Amino acid sequence: MNAIELKNVSVVYGEGTPFKKIALNNINTCFPQGTVTGIIGHTGSGKSTLASLLNGLLKPTSGEVLLFDKSIWEKPKEMVQIRSQVGLVFQYPEYQLFDETVEADIAFGPRNLKLPQEEIDKRVKLAAEFCGITERDLKRSPFELSGGQKRRAAIAGVLAMQPKVLVLDEPAAGLDPKGREEILGGLIEYKNTYGATLIIISHSMEDVAKYADNILVMNNGEIYMQGAVEEIFLQAERLFDANLDVPQITKLFIELKKRGLCESSDIYTLGYAKKVIEKLLG
Amino acid sequence: MLKDVTFGQYFPGNSLLHKADARFKVLILIEYIVIVLLANSAYAVGLGLLLTAFLMVFSGVKIRLLLKSVKPLIFVLVFTCLINLFLTRGSGAPLVDWSFIKIYKEGVRNAIAMLIRLLSLVLGTSVLISFTTSPLELTDALESLLSPLKKIKVPVHEFAMMMSIALRFIPTLIEETNKIISAQKARCADFDSGNIFKKLKAMVPILIPLFVSAVRRAEELADAMECRCYHGGKGRTKLNVMHAKLRDYIFLLAVTAIIAGVVVLNRYDASFIKNLIKDLVF
Amino acid sequence: MAFIEARGVEFAYSPEEPLVIDGIDVKIEKGSYVAILGHNGCGKSTLAKLLCGIVAPTEGQILVDGINTCDGEQEFELRKKCGMVFQNPDNQLVASVVEEDVAFAPENLGLPREEIRKRVDSALATVDMSEYAKHTTHKLSGGQKQRIAIAGILAMQPECIIFDEATAMLDPTGRKEIAAAMKRLNKELGITVVTITHYMGEAIEADRIIVMNQGKIIADGTPAEIFSKVEQLKEVSLAVPQVTELLYMLECDGYQMPRGILHAMDAAEVLTQKLKK
Repeated sequence: MNAIELKNVSVVYGEGTPFKKIALNNINTCFPQGTVTGIIGHTGSGKSTLASLLNGLLKPTSGEVLLFDKSIWEKPKEMVQIRSQVGLVFQYPEYQLFDETVEADIAFGPRNLKLPQEEIDKRVKLAAEFCGITERDLKRSPFELSGGQKRRAAIAGVLAMQPKVLVLDEPAAGLDPKGREEILGGLIEYKNTYGATLIIISHSMEDVAKYADNILVMNNGEIYMQGAVEEIFLQAERLFDANLDVPQITKLFIELKKRGLCESSDIYTLGYAKKVIEKLLG
Repeated sequence: MLKDVTFGQYFPGNSLLHKADARFKVLILIEYIVIVLLANSAYAVGLGLLLTAFLMVFSGVKIRLLLKSVKPLIFVLVFTCLINLFLTRGSGAPLVDWSFIKIYKEGVRNAIAMLIRLLSLVLGTSVLISFTTSPLELTDALESLLSPLKKIKVPVHEFAMMMSIALRFIPTLIEETNKIISAQKARCADFDSGNIFKKLKAMVPILIPLFVSAVRRAEELADAMECRCYHGGKGRTKLNVMHAKLRDYIFLLAVTAIIAGVVVLNRYDASFIKNLIKDLVF
Repeated sequence: MAFIEARGVEFAYSPEEPLVIDGIDVKIEKGSYVAILGHNGCGKSTLAKLLCGIVAPTEGQILVDGINTCDGEQEFELRKKCGMVFQNPDNQLVASVVEEDVAFAPENLGLPREEIRKRVDSALATVDMSEYAKHTTHKLSGGQKQRIAIAGILAMQPECIIFDEATAMLDPTGRKEIAAAMKRLNKELGITVVTITHYMGEAIEADRIIVMNQGKIIADGTPAEIFSKVEQLKEVSLAVPQVTELLYMLECDGYQMPRGILHAMDAAEVLTQKLKK
């Protein structure tokens, strides 16, 4: 079953003025339930516009956005319900923190959903656990935390709504390798626990290779490529044409294939790469 | 929504008014306001209108844009006109006498005069300053015009620097506000329903992050300015020095002459309007 | 004599708080290209602020070309010698128009108008932004804004530029632009470049890498030397390039592999030789 499906979706800004800009042009795609999709593309390729379509922050100029086969714009008055089901984490979400304690800030979403207090407390605790926030940090002011901790608190604030679909715009931007791993690992854990669907926008090919099942490549407001991770990285040339990159390890295997030393170049994780080389070395 | 406001916006261009020295434009604006407020007689008002028309032509700004800048003020204009029309009590017999509505010819005169004054003020300020002077030129002009006040220890440079930094950060902060609003909406925040107090309370999750970020930006900017040897206005030079040209002096003199003209014409308060109304009515 | 020299430097934001910088001795030679590597919160950004004198050390001293960074009287000389590019591109641009922003430092130095014009033009040309001289700053891309910030520092004609995570907020395109600019400043103009980062790809480009952890320097050497210590880097939660890690994993399994291989092409070369045997 598809968690989200986009049918002939276009977004046009400034229709009828000389500043007319087509942000998204006839997008058709779907995000199957329980999968992780990585969206890659340049700044201005339409990735972020696509993200704000998914939870109804933006209304498409034409076309349909379906959440579990139902159009999200069917009842615009119930958009809050849609937004609680499709969690959206923006770039640098730490800049949205505002409440007195981390705990209260994480509870903002569930409070807006008018849930009973016990349920709110339960959800805050769970969300904090997924994001690796300690009991002690929950009582602190969000403004006392370090950069990485703030990021986690902000992501927990969206997880606390227990969305079925989670869309994240560069959740690990600016963090060091350990911080990246902790945040992305926690999100995968959340996905596995609730059978949720993850959509991660990222510039890091290594992260996409490591965590995603499918990849959607955006270019100039259109879908440039889409498919399973190995299919996409097998077509490295097409990615290079769009000025995008592949993981370094894939580059190595493309070179080895060129030299006739190995047969396939759809290798993008270290563990698999090691196995292949060991087999070749005999 | 914020994009639609043209009042107070700079349109880059190459017209006579764009090229004129900003200091002179500020002085001419002052003279222009004097003219508009002083002009009393029909001839004087006519002279003022002629000047406005000339300024509009010299600014090279499209008439469509000018009208757009007046549009948000239509309500105010109509309202003041009606107040003047209905509430002015004249000496002679009323022109219209229908139940409680009485319109005197003085009322008609006041309404027309008010309309012309307000329109002239808006159009004149727009073409002289906002449409044709970049914010930076304007702050430089004010710093230069107010520099005599430095002698009595008025911090003119600091004031101008603050203003130009504020102008530089307005677009950045507008962008940031929109981002925060989207982020809180994604957490199901409701900004539209409830009474005024509820709505004000709903602003807290926007205002606090905005404030925190503005403070952080200010701190970082201060460091960056210090690193670039900023130490106040003392001993500072400028890349773009304003050079008054002969035509700027001529321009200023011409407008001064018009003030004199208005004063003279005011004395010949020929019963032009009276006659006009008589001709129209009878 | 080294261009920057730190001797026994310690720093804490207040006496009650733990030391952020805990005893650093380092020399940075004139004309060198140094990357300071470390995870978030290891004290590398504080070190950057200490090196260019925005904050003063609690203990020890820092000399920049012989000037003590605490010497208030020579503050101007110090700032002219050593500029800094910060992380957030939006928060270091002062003016709304590109050339006005680049002119900010020379204006503060009280230079004559013709000289300012000359410096602005040449600084913009160096970062390849001449055509944007009259544009407004806020509509530029992140990479372009950072290049304007670099031009603003270049206009002071400094001998050294410190980049404090200047690429952290940029997309890959912007990151490439800035990395190229750093290289050009160092190789063509002979400017000492110190870049603070946790991106491996950027650190590799430097001639020397200093690794920091918990306020201390724990490793110092060429990129090949540093990245051959895979275990040590992992201990302080830093990653190594994927091919370096692959060769290391193979080595752990008993294959003989050279260390300090950083690029895909070099790794391909190594593996080709092994496989052809």
